Amino acid sequence: MSASLVHDFDWIARQTPGAPALSWRGAVWSYGELRRAVGCMQRKLSESGVEPGSRVALLVRNSPHYVASYFGVIAAGCVAVPLNVQERASVLSRQIEHAGCSAVIADPQHPEWSALSTAIASAAPLLLTLDLQTATSGDAFCGALNVNSESSLPDLQGDEPAMMIYTSGTTSRPKGVLLSNGALVANARAIAAYLQITAHDKVLCGLPFHFSYGSSVLNSNLIAGAQLLLEDNFAFPQQTLKRMQEEGVTGFPGVPSTFALLLGRCQLSDFDLGQLRYITQAGGSMPRAQIEKLRQQLPHTQVFIMYGQTEATARLSYLSPEHLEDKLGSVGMPLPGVEIQIRSEGAVLPAGDVGEICARGPNIMLGYWREPELTAQVLRDGWLHTGDLGHLDDDGFLFIDGRAVEMIKVGAFRVSPQEVEEVLATYPGVEEVAVTGVADEVLGQSIKAVIVLREGAPPDLRGVKAHCRQHLASYKVPKVVEFAAALPRTSSGKVQRFKLA
Amino acid sequence: MSDALRDQIRAFILENYLFTDDKSALGLDDSLLERGIVDSTGMLEIIFFIEEQLGVKVKDEEMVPGNLDGVNKIAAFVQSKQQAA
Repeated sequence: MSASLVHDFDWIARQTPGAPALSWRGAVWSYGELRRAVGCMQRKLSESGVEPGSRVALLVRNSPHYVASYFGVIAAGCVAVPLNVQERASVLSRQIEHAGCSAVIADPQHPEWSALSTAIASAAPLLLTLDLQTATSGDAFCGALNVNSESSLPDLQGDEPAMMIYTSGTTSRPKGVLLSNGALVANARAIAAYLQITAHDKVLCGLPFHFSYGSSVLNSNLIAGAQLLLEDNFAFPQQTLKRMQEEGVTGFPGVPSTFALLLGRCQLSDFDLGQLRYITQAGGSMPRAQIEKLRQQLPHTQVFIMYGQTEATARLSYLSPEHLEDKLGSVGMPLPGVEIQIRSEGAVLPAGDVGEICARGPNIMLGYWREPELTAQVLRDGWLHTGDLGHLDDDGFLFIDGRAVEMIKVGAFRVSPQEVEEVLATYPGVEEVAVTGVADEVLGQSIKAVIVLREGAPPDLRGVKAHCRQHLASYKVPKVVEFAAALPRTSSGKVQRFKLA
Repeated sequence: MSDALRDQIRAFILENYLFTDDKSALGLDDSLLERGIVDSTGMLEIIFFIEEQLGVKVKDEEMVPGNLDGVNKIAAFVQSKQQAA
């Protein structure tokens, strides 16, 4: 049996070619249309000499063009490398270089595209630009690529790599999580099964596809024949809710900050969301008060609390809605096919004891791209060591107790304090710097930097922030910057980040 | 539309999101979201700014791109609200 997303998508698209697959800016792409567009991207890559196994970067916002390109790259036997559209050209070019991409598929309207295309020119990958404004249909997409669609989508090997997602490591060195066809489809099938996704579902997705949660929403819905309504952001929650009402949306995935934005300014009860069958929440823990508010305002809607990480494709566990009350605070039980253990120094801990969350299953990554040592640290004797701390209760429900590795979580995005510190350290006059996360009402955490200046250097707050913005994605720019005479340290000289807050 | 109002809005965005006082860094008709200048929470902060600093209450149904996604749009929106008050 062929085990890939392309296989499952192809099957459903052949069953119901007329069914709506994607809705974006007033245009609706049917499954048949999307399938043809996927075939066009597949053929374009193979006709252009992009060999199977090659990495192909995607710099395209959530759009049908992204989806057609992503599946097309995988169908061509290549590895899709979706890039974070919020990142700056310097980071993007480093990732493209690190991945050794043979081709880059990009939206030429992206604000960093002109700087990026110059930066990667010497490596000379194949550049395919997609004009999102004019190619609004699947046929126009094929027309712009100047190819006809492949008549059949191929069988792919389950153990071959299909996707690579860059995540924040503890340093600014790129860390690419390599996922196989088998891992992607196993996770997508498991998610589609527990959410009971069917062809009748209409899911509004504003989570970016370049990160694992957004990508898992895309995968699990498109192998199940559901319709995805695409959004770029939640900047206008009123408008998002209106769209949900008008379209009769049945499913809505979010991260804690999504729900903070929606609940902060709007009354959900002002909208008729009677069709909304379920909402899912992942990407960090959500305050209890917020869960309760959602339950009150949407009494008919099932709330799924979920946990996972990119190294496990996306999902490791979910809390079944009937346990939301009696297991409040838990992230539930492992997905079918996934095993979870709590370990400490190699030993498996009993229920109640806090240790590192470890997982095993068909959805675990192949490894970090070109980082065998880093891979060996987290993949040991077949188990993924997540770096998250947690415990299981007597009934086998998982609770998260923190992260073993220091990471700041801004919205659902992991930010490494070291990465921000490394950028700040290059600003003129900075002697030393430390970065930490501080509590933020909407985002959960925001970034705070404490800087010690060299003698005589002026404290230029704006200059420091401008420097950060130039080198870091906007969400990684510290919200608060303080100047201090010294950093808090232990007697051995180690900086105590927790004392900065 | 008053230049003072436009300048005040532009100055706020330059100072808080672009960290500069160089006016050429932000065109009056530039989309704040398309250019990646603000994200969803940044938009919320701009609404607070309009309410706190400019004294105009933003109703739920007024939170739309046509009123908020650009300096000129914000200025026109604020001015129409001030005149209606």
